[in-house]
Parts: sequence; structure tokens; C-alpha cells
Amino acid sequence: MSKTTTAVDDDLWSAIGDPIRRQMLDRLLADGGGTATSLSEHLPVTRQAIAKHLAVLDRVDLVRASAEGREKRYRVDDIQMARAVAQLNSVGTAWDARLQRIKKIAESIQRSQNG
Amino acid sequence: MEFGTIEREIYVDASPEIVFEVVSSPGHLEQWWPDEAHYEPVPGRTGNIVFGQPGTDRTVVPLTVIDTQPPRTFSFRWTQPLDETAVVGNSLLVTFDLRPSGSGTLLKMTESGFREMGWDAALLEQQYNEHSSGWDFYLLRIAPYVARLTSSAVTAEP
Repeated sequence: MSKTTTAVDDDLWSAIGDPIRRQMLDRLLADGGGTATSLSEHLPVTRQAIAKHLAVLDRVDLVRASAEGREKRYRVDDIQMARAVAQLNSVGTAWDARLQRIKKIAESIQRSQNG
Repeated sequence: MEFGTIEREIYVDASPEIVFEVVSSPGHLEQWWPDEAHYEPVPGRTGNIVFGQPGTDRTVVPLTVIDTQPPRTFSFRWTQPLDETAVVGNSLLVTFDLRPSGSGTLLKMTESGFREMGWDAALLEQQYNEHSSGWDFYLLRIAPYVARLTSSAVTAEP
């Protein structure tokens, strides 16, 4: 088990731990991108709040900004999103370990009954 | 993108009756998952599982038994808020399906509900993993698997 500790992963978790930010990501994925203004039209928070959330997502590289007129346009960063999904997949890894323990316990009971 | 369900299958060289006991009885559960398990394996009954040793910062998580058909299937919901009934949308559903195979059992586990519960559930689960592995909580928030899993991340979950 490597200890390649990165504050990034902690920040990544807190960035996606917020329901509004998850809705923003869903929206950006569905629309292929958006601005603070376009997002605020679909979400129950102010444009200013959206801008702050976008800054959080930007800080952990979950979104990329590009200039579009007077506003920044954001899109989801695929690689960083994949990393977030990978962290979700670590749940599966935990089940692998649990199932191995289940297997060991059951097989040892079976052996003791056979013996 | 859909990553709502985790599915695993494993062959166990023991009879379905034994495997069923191991996946469903509280006493056995404590050997492969939480530190303590308090529930009756009866459909509709709610109990809880506890992570952490006595005297430490413990986490108590509700668990509701959904279905039990020995030695074929055992399912439960967990992670619902303490004061709420477990339903779709507020909890994760774990199902064990057992099938005789040769001299042993094919054990299939599915855990679903992530899509409905969102990322919070994943974070929660990750915390529990940390507890159950006995690792330090904060150390474990690191995702040590990322490098290995990233390659399969996009296609891993059906």
C-alpha cells in the first residue's frame, strides 16, 4: 500500500462532497459545459454562489475554464473526473476484501465439518 | 455515465448452507466486516452495525434486513439516516445470491444505490473501509488505489 499522500485527493473528495457542486457537474456533463450564469438558471442558488462553487471545482481541476465574452465558460475535466470515479471504485475493492474474508471463514467451517 | 452498482462474484468451497450463515448471521458478519453487528436476520427488522472499538470514536450505522431465503439469498439496506426508514434513495442495498456449484457455492454480491445517493455514499463507504481495515481515518482518505484503478475506472462499472 503506497502512501502517496496527496492533499489533492482530500480536496477532491470535499469538492464532490457537496450536493450543489455535484448537480453542477451533472449539468456541465449533460450540457457539455456552461457558465456561472447558465448554471444558475438551473440550480436553486445565486449566480454568485455558483461562481464560488466553480472556483472550488476549478481548484481541484474538476473543471477547466476558458474565456467566453465577459464570462468564463467551464467544462468538466475528463481525467480528473475519471480519478474521482476511481475513488468511488475503491468501494468495490473493499468488497473484494470482505468477500475474501467470507470465503476463508466459510471454507474453514466446511473443513471442520468434513473433518 | 452510470456507476450505481457494484457487482462481485466469488467461488467458495463450502456448502450454500454454510455460506448463507456466514453472510447473514450477525456473529459471522463481525468477523468479516463491522466490529459489532446487532440485528435479527428477519425481513423488515432494523438493527445496526458498529465500526470502531469501544472507547474510541465509533460509527453506528443502521441496517435493515430486506429479504432472507436460506440458503439462496440474503439482502439488506444500510447507511439510511438513523431516524428514517430504509428506502430507495436514502440507503444502499446489498444483496447476496448463492448458487450451488460443484462441491461449493457461487456467491454473488451486488451493492446498489450509489447513483441515487450520489457521491456522499461513496465517501461514507470509503470511511467505513478505513474503519474496518483498522487504518487511521485520515491516512485512509487518501486513495491509494487511484493509480491502479484509473485505467479501468471509466469502464469498470456497468
